[in-house]
Amino acid sequence: MEDYKFLFKVVLVGNAGVGKTCLVRRFTQGLFPPGQGATIGVDFMIKTVEVDGEKVKLQIWDTAGQERFRSITQSYYRSAHALILVYDISCQPTFDCLPDWLREIEEYANNKVLRILVGNKTDREDREIPRHIGEDFAQRHGMYFLETSAKEAENVERLFMEIAVDLMEQAKCKELPKYDGSLGPLNGKTTSVNDSSCCLRS
Amino acid sequence: MSLTLLLEKYDVSTEEGLQKALNKIEKEEAEVDEALSNALSRACTLEGRLRTASQAYTKLGEVRNDAQVAANMVDKTAALAKDVSAKVRQLDLARSRVAECQRRVHDLIDLRVCSAGVETAIKAHDYETAAGHVARFLSMEPGSVAAARARGVADPRRDMDAAASTLRDHLVRKFEEASKREDDTAVERLFKLFPQIGRAEEGVDLYAKYLASQLESAVRRAGAVERSSEAGAFAAALTRALEAGAAHVERARLLLAAHAPAHTLLPRALAHLQPKVCAGARRICADMMSARRAGEAAPAGDARAVEPPLCELALAHERLQLYFAFLRKRPELTTNLTEAEKEKCLAEIEKIILECEITRVAQDVLSQYLTLERYFLEESVNKALKLSSAQSGATGSSLVDDVFYIARKVIRRGISTGSVDGACAVLNEAGAQLERCGAALRRRLAAPPPDPLPLPPPPPHDRPRAPPRDDAPRALYLALTNEAESGAEWAEALAEQAVREAEALWRGAGGAGGAAGAGQAGGRDKLRSCAAGLGAAAGAFRAARDLALAALRTALLPALTAWAHALVDPDTDDDELSEEAGALPAALDVLADAARAQLPASADALLAALLADLLARAEDALLRNHYDRRGGLCVERRVRRLATWAGGNAPGARERAGALAAAAALLALEKLAHVHEALPPAALPPARVRDVLARRTDFKLEDIKRLKL
Ligand SMILES: Nc1nc2c(ncn2[C@@H]2O[C@H](COP(=O)(O)OP(=O)(O)O)[C@@H](O)[C@H]2O)c(=O)[nH]1
Ligand SMILES: [Mg+2]
Repeated sequence: MEDYKFLFKVVLVGNAGVGKTCLVRRFTQGLFPPGQGATIGVDFMIKTVEVDGEKVKLQIWDTAGQERFRSITQSYYRSAHALILVYDISCQPTFDCLPDWLREIEEYANNKVLRILVGNKTDREDREIPRHIGEDFAQRHGMYFLETSAKEAENVERLFMEIAVDLMEQAKCKELPKYDGSLGPLNGKTTSVNDSSCCLRS
Repeated sequence: MSLTLLLEKYDVSTEEGLQKALNKIEKEEAEVDEALSNALSRACTLEGRLRTASQAYTKLGEVRNDAQVAANMVDKTAALAKDVSAKVRQLDLARSRVAECQRRVHDLIDLRVCSAGVETAIKAHDYETAAGHVARFLSMEPGSVAAARARGVADPRRDMDAAASTLRDHLVRKFEEASKREDDTAVERLFKLFPQIGRAEEGVDLYAKYLASQLESAVRRAGAVERSSEAGAFAAALTRALEAGAAHVERARLLLAAHAPAHTLLPRALAHLQPKVCAGARRICADMMSARRAGEAAPAGDARAVEPPLCELALAHERLQLYFAFLRKRPELTTNLTEAEKEKCLAEIEKIILECEITRVAQDVLSQYLTLERYFLEESVNKALKLSSAQSGATGSSLVDDVFYIARKVIRRGISTGSVDGACAVLNEAGAQLERCGAALRRRLAAPPPDPLPLPPPPPHDRPRAPPRDDAPRALYLALTNEAESGAEWAEALAEQAVREAEALWRGAGGAGGAAGAGQAGGRDKLRSCAAGLGAAAGAFRAARDLALAALRTALLPALTAWAHALVDPDTDDDELSEEAGALPAALDVLADAARAQLPASADALLAALLADLLARAEDALLRNHYDRRGGLCVERRVRRLATWAGGNAPGARERAGALAAAAALLALEKLAHVHEALPPAALPPARVRDVLARRTDFKLEDIKRLKL
């Protein structure tokens, strides 16, 4: 058995080209990749972080933004513990597509999934979406909000660490046994996997 | 000691003093004598050593002279050798100059022959000879040509260039004529001349164009779909078209392999051929996708009707992957390439694959396959759920059997697409549906029917048993509990099986990574992680089973409580004791037989839990009752029988039964003082011992307090 206590699945979605792959690479490998091709289907990365002295394994699924990969990427929504919806602050159309992405999320993801809106590429001079517009949108749809730059490594670590902390708090609340009648658990095992938004314990 | 000192020290005026001085002097004399003889003996050895040393010195002188002579000789030899090697070098130089001269002479002779020869050979339509001349010219050293010019010969290069270009024009014309005639032999013969005249790339372009036009019609012929309604018709056509493409690529490779630089020529040829493959494959796939859309393929929600199209889409995608894998393997098969050349060649091919149309087409096919597969999966599971809830009895097929049959089939088909992403997506969808089934089972197991398992009540049987009820709901409930149990096991087995079967994805394709967008290792991890997602489904089934077992415990609790009270009942008639002590084990046998027969996998855990419930209640009751010794003896006897039963039938509850037996033994004590004999060491904590003893009405509390435990 590997040495970690919690395993969380984090899925990144959003239009092609907004910088999802760069965010993941920045976080997992500490670099800003020069000119890699567009993601095909779904890519998969792992990083183990430490929260309050406990090992937390983040399984990060980086999806392709194009329509023709939708049937692949949709299959990952359901088991996600956190969904990061990314747009490009220098590209209005990527922001305009957010409602479509939200519809996808409503349809396929668990309704208790942690949702984070991320405006990426803050290093760019040609901003088109002011910060408060993004913030408003996030607030209206019950999402966390953060602006990042994968290029300048701004807020990237923070984005994933806050997700890890938040999910761990959620998971800890649910550590109680499921069946709470007058009888104890049958064989000492507590099963909480069925509760769809909960983490998988290792 | 000097005489003066002697005189000072000793009083020589007295005879005694004189005598003392004399003694002293004599003593010193003896010492001096001894020292002297020591020194003399050493002088002897020293002399010997000196002699040896002087002999050695003479010898060293001789050695030195010899060495000097040797050194002089070495110096002389070195000088000689230097001389010789300089001469050898000169000789070498001379020889290579002679060789060069000879080559130049040959070149000059050939040059004359060449420029004259090309014209003649062209006139004679002997293109092989003409190309041979040009090749000879091209292989000449520039120095030879320059030398020829320097001697006043008219610049031979101009003539040769002109001749070479005439030859090229002729060859191109001849090539085109041969292509029109579709004369493969002539085409290949002519192609081989292009590298000789230094125009390998032009030759490849011509040859690849020729192949491409042949390929175009081959693909058109192969891709014709006559009965499109027939299952698999499009996939078969696609297979034929891709095979035609592969055959032409291989023909080009075999011809090009012999010509440098083969590693750039092969991708160059592929660039001409690939568009023809793409055009054909795209047309077939477009037709296939419009013919096999969910709406048309599945009239009125009949999930089974979409299976043939699903298989066809999966097969088509797998064929496209296979074709890519075929292309990727070509450099490896070209054995005369260096590793670096192979790598460059593969990178070029990879780029062509990434940018070609059928890469997109494959993605679209996979997308449609997945959409349809999701539909199939959902519909099939819906049907299985409906079917199983309609069945009131436990007969017929089970929900778990059905859904796992579907899931396994779907996962296999997902793997058969040849795509890691496809297999992963199907695993995810299958996991979701199985989890849904687990949740559905859980809902149906929330409320058990009355008397789900038989447990005869304790005597006296004054309450008549309820008339036997309809057995069907009970059987169904237990059957569903079993299904939940096996569902959990199957989900885990299915995950393992999927990982095993998915190995084919890496065995077949020479790097499924291309389509998966990740390296092989990454692809494997991805697939493992998706397969592990089936663990969530296992959890859902397990939760359903746990719920059912907990409900069974709750349902049996009233009967168990009655038995618990009977077990520790203080007022029992002595006469019936032996029969009565066996009543609970007998009742438990009935329960255990039923549980083992109907819940084979969960029976042991359930019995242990039920017994624990019974024992806990018996302990509580015991601590509330009052006993005399007779009552205590009865309890002890009954509990011992129960503990024996637990030992054989419910090992999980053995310890707890032992503790109750120990408590009962305390109740049966004749005298308080016997407590240590009656109690096995550490069977009960001291506080509990006192509590139990306090239930005996004839034991005094202060005596109990005074006991040393
Ligand atoms: N200036 C800037 N460019 C970025 C940033 N993140 C990504 N990019 C660029 O945006 C393009 C698309 O990035 P990618 O990560 O492939 O986007 P994805 O399709 O969402 O995965 C690339 O050219 C990146 O170099 C960023 O933070 N700042
Ligand atoms: Mg990407």
